Amino acid sequence: MTTFLIRRIVQMIIVIILSSIVAYGLLYLAPGGPMVEFQQRQMGGGRGLSQADLARIRARFELDLHPVTRFTRWFVGLPRGPITIAGQTFLADLQVGCAVPGQVRLRYPDGRVEIVEEGCDQPVTMADLEGRRVSRGILFGDFGRSQVIARDQPISTLIWSRLPYTLALMGVSTFLAILFGVLIGIYSATRQYSRFDYIMTTVTFVGASLPSFFFGIILILVFAIWAKEAGLPYLPPGNATANRNYVVPLLGTVTAGSPLDFLLHFIMPCAVLTFINIAQWSRFVRASMLEVLRQDYVRTARAKGVREQLVIVKHALRNALIPFVTLLAGILPTLFAGAAITEAVFNWPGLGQLLIDSLNRFDYVVAMALLYITIVLQLIGYLISDIMYTVVDPRIRLT
Amino acid sequence: MRPVSFSLTRLFILTLILTTLVACGGAATSPDAPVRETMAPAEPTAVAEATVEPDTTTETTPEPEPTMQEEEEEEEEPPPGSFTTPHPILSDVRVRQAIAYCTDRTELIQSVYNYLSPEEQQGLLMDSFVPQGHWALADNITTYPFDPEQGNALLEEAGWTLPDGTEPGPGVVRTREGEQLSIGFVTTDAQFRQTWATVFEQQLAENCSIQIIRTHAPGSWLFGDATGLRRRDFELAAFAWVGEPDPKGRTLYACNEIPLPENNWAGQNYMGWCNETASRAIIAANNTLDRDERIRQYAIFQEEFTRDMVSLPLFQRLEAQAASNNLVNFISDPTEYMTANIGEWELTDNADTIVLGFSQEPSSMWVLVTDAAVATQAADLIGFRAFTKYNYDYQPVALTRLPTIENGGATLEEIEVSAGDMVWTVDGEAMELAPGVEVINAEGETVTYAEGDTITMSQLSVTFEYIEGLTWEDGEPVKQADFELAARINCDPDSGASDLTICNSRQNIDFINDTSYTITYLPGAQWPEYFIYTVGAGISGNREAYPSHQVLSDGRNLTDVPAAEWGTLLEIAERPLSNGPYTLVEWQKGQRLVFEANPNFFAGEPAVPTVIIQIVTDTNQAVAQLLTGNIDVLEKATLGAGPEVQTVIEAGEAGRVQVFLEASPTWEHVDMNLFLR
Repeated sequence: MTTFLIRRIVQMIIVIILSSIVAYGLLYLAPGGPMVEFQQRQMGGGRGLSQADLARIRARFELDLHPVTRFTRWFVGLPRGPITIAGQTFLADLQVGCAVPGQVRLRYPDGRVEIVEEGCDQPVTMADLEGRRVSRGILFGDFGRSQVIARDQPISTLIWSRLPYTLALMGVSTFLAILFGVLIGIYSATRQYSRFDYIMTTVTFVGASLPSFFFGIILILVFAIWAKEAGLPYLPPGNATANRNYVVPLLGTVTAGSPLDFLLHFIMPCAVLTFINIAQWSRFVRASMLEVLRQDYVRTARAKGVREQLVIVKHALRNALIPFVTLLAGILPTLFAGAAITEAVFNWPGLGQLLIDSLNRFDYVVAMALLYITIVLQLIGYLISDIMYTVVDPRIRLT
Repeated sequence: MRPVSFSLTRLFILTLILTTLVACGGAATSPDAPVRETMAPAEPTAVAEATVEPDTTTETTPEPEPTMQEEEEEEEEPPPGSFTTPHPILSDVRVRQAIAYCTDRTELIQSVYNYLSPEEQQGLLMDSFVPQGHWALADNITTYPFDPEQGNALLEEAGWTLPDGTEPGPGVVRTREGEQLSIGFVTTDAQFRQTWATVFEQQLAENCSIQIIRTHAPGSWLFGDATGLRRRDFELAAFAWVGEPDPKGRTLYACNEIPLPENNWAGQNYMGWCNETASRAIIAANNTLDRDERIRQYAIFQEEFTRDMVSLPLFQRLEAQAASNNLVNFISDPTEYMTANIGEWELTDNADTIVLGFSQEPSSMWVLVTDAAVATQAADLIGFRAFTKYNYDYQPVALTRLPTIENGGATLEEIEVSAGDMVWTVDGEAMELAPGVEVINAEGETVTYAEGDTITMSQLSVTFEYIEGLTWEDGEPVKQADFELAARINCDPDSGASDLTICNSRQNIDFINDTSYTITYLPGAQWPEYFIYTVGAGISGNREAYPSHQVLSDGRNLTDVPAAEWGTLLEIAERPLSNGPYTLVEWQKGQRLVFEANPNFFAGEPAVPTVIIQIVTDTNQAVAQLLTGNIDVLEKATLGAGPEVQTVIEAGEAGRVQVFLEASPTWEHVDMNLFLR
């Protein structure tokens, strides 16, 4: 087991490094970027930014550094400047980027003239990195500071401010989805092709097929706007809590920020996420149970006269849940990453919204921090899942 | 067969090697390879407002001004570059005018804003490069009402004829000498543009038998650094400009602002339009500080601009804001934020809270490092306004007046400069005067400084006077040290400010007392909007002055903190001391900001005790919260101009909310490229 764990942790570190490189590269290769805002300002027809202004802005986003340097500074917080050993400075002149690209004028034989960027007029050296703000590296748990959405403020603060909302929403909705999914799955399997089975199959497939934004908007329209207009008890359309006290028929005055207020705001997004997730759990448990129910040992148990309820719970369900454990591994990153679209539709202040916001506003360090945490949680989830196998199935040994 | 195969393989390898050698051996061996010249580092993107007097007779010639210096001076005429071949269709002014006559702009507006009344739709129409009601709009312009007959006549006159026996209509394309009247048209892929562009294409086909080949490209291509507009890679291109109180326009229409390969694509005159009269007028209008003269020059420009029809103005976009019925004193304006007068808002039912819906969370409360609309509006609550900019003009608020040359608040003096003096150059840089440096002299001429010369230049000085009684939330009066601190930090490159051009053009600031100071600019620096360029140099009051008396939580005094640290200070970025109508008391990240009325506000404590900014990113959600009463006000960016506006208008008609519709300063137009690459 120890050998297995050591091997898996080493593998995890390698996967984390590789996936971080890929995610980081893809993010910076994508069109747009933090300079778009300034380019658009240049397009505004007014006073433009000077070359010095642009160079300073590029330096703020570290866009004047070579991609490899940029990545290593983000990942492990290095290089921070020239290396000093025993009072002697090394690599101070090593070029790690370019502040102002060079330009070359091309004169073609047909008289055309063109200016193209080539080389570098003002290189960035290791010496220039000294004094620039840099985190200790995300590998060591320092996410750095936001560049755009909460400018110059620690990303960890941003994440902590939204994490409780995401955990609450995802935790409860996932729990409910699993609970209902397993119950429906068991019942459907034991009564295969019954009316209940058909109805549940249809309902859960509708849930799985409905886009969450559509379902969410319908709920808002019916239970918030129309219900309020009709003078019926209604649910708040969005946010985690209200801005001020409000009156709900039958419930009376609801105090903003109270547990009841939070609960009323929680119901709709939680219902959407639960409903759209029930299908995957119920279908999985149904299929797994059906397979197990056909096994000889279940038939034997029944032949021995064991009560049907006991057969299902003790003999069938326990074995049916073994493959189910693999699905649980996926929960961990989901709990953290949130449900971006549902959060956006209900204005739920969670991490999913934060990810969308950071991507829309090109705050790549925030987006990368969230992606990085998701990657790590995913790998931890796989590890837990492997370990869980040995617990639920004694036949499996990890070596 | 075998020997032949072997020979072919060897021949292939030999060819490969030779090709590689030729490629590595240098381009000089190839007759088609270009000659390479190294460029000196320069300012390719800096766009300076040149400083000349509005004397059109002595104005600088609109020859292309290379923004880069060649290492070697060249005597001969610049060689012909690209974009010298006139466009076979669009270079003819009659065709361009015909396109304008054949376009029913009202129908285009109808296609995207069908919920507006006909009068409201008419109010969005654009005939020039400034909107209806703007102080610079001329009355001598050529207008192009929808008139297909006139359009068809112009096309006939230009030689573009219909096939015999046919009438203009879909499926019929005009021809001239066998060539079809077919023009490429590119715009972005936004749904809004897809809608009106479809109608535009149909109109030209049905009304005048002009075939439009429509393409919708991603914004990243159309506005990209090396694609789309910047490379003039279009025939007709539709996009939007954002208007301002000052019309500017030099970088868009002057002859020396045509992007070309030989000037590294600098400039925004994407049409390649060079009308010398118009160019001189737009430069002169941007260079004078006299409002009447500017109006006269803009009129000359607009007369040429509308007659040449190189860019077809279509319509202003729509902006909508909504507020609950109990809110009074709310001002909706195209060029000013709704929050500019938030201290004057009242609630008729004596409610104690107003909730504003914002589509984005402010990234910082320190607006020096962010000029996003949400941050600026949030900052309005905690900072006094030096001025407002309602209705495409400026009005003093915390200033006793806008200091102009006419009212004596500013002076323009002629001074002698010689080698070693700091000046503002033609390229918009602060530089020591030395041989070869180009400046604008007091006569408005571009002159190159020569050894031993003395040049007479204009120097601008502006004195800003604030009203008495400006106070911080803690009761401390705003004083001279606060303005000094603002001047120092706002112009420090380490502060995180993105644009230091105005700062760099200043020679010095003379702080006179607690309420006034004089800014003297470098000789040659003249900004048309000099009367609003305070030490804050922006419209947000919370950077006009910083509390020099503030002691931070770590025990330091704010004045002792280096500029580089300011952005990370909670006392600056998240809980700044207020001198505006409200104070920020709570910021729930990702959710809301809570403000309370500031009893020490110079204009008196606001009537509404609490203002909450609620962050709502989704427009549907924002409208739902407005209709269910959780939000009282939706600002322009949050409400947008999509189908949600119609829902709000219907709610307004039902008397549930107040709806404010405005013609946006953002206006759609079609640029016509006059040349082929």
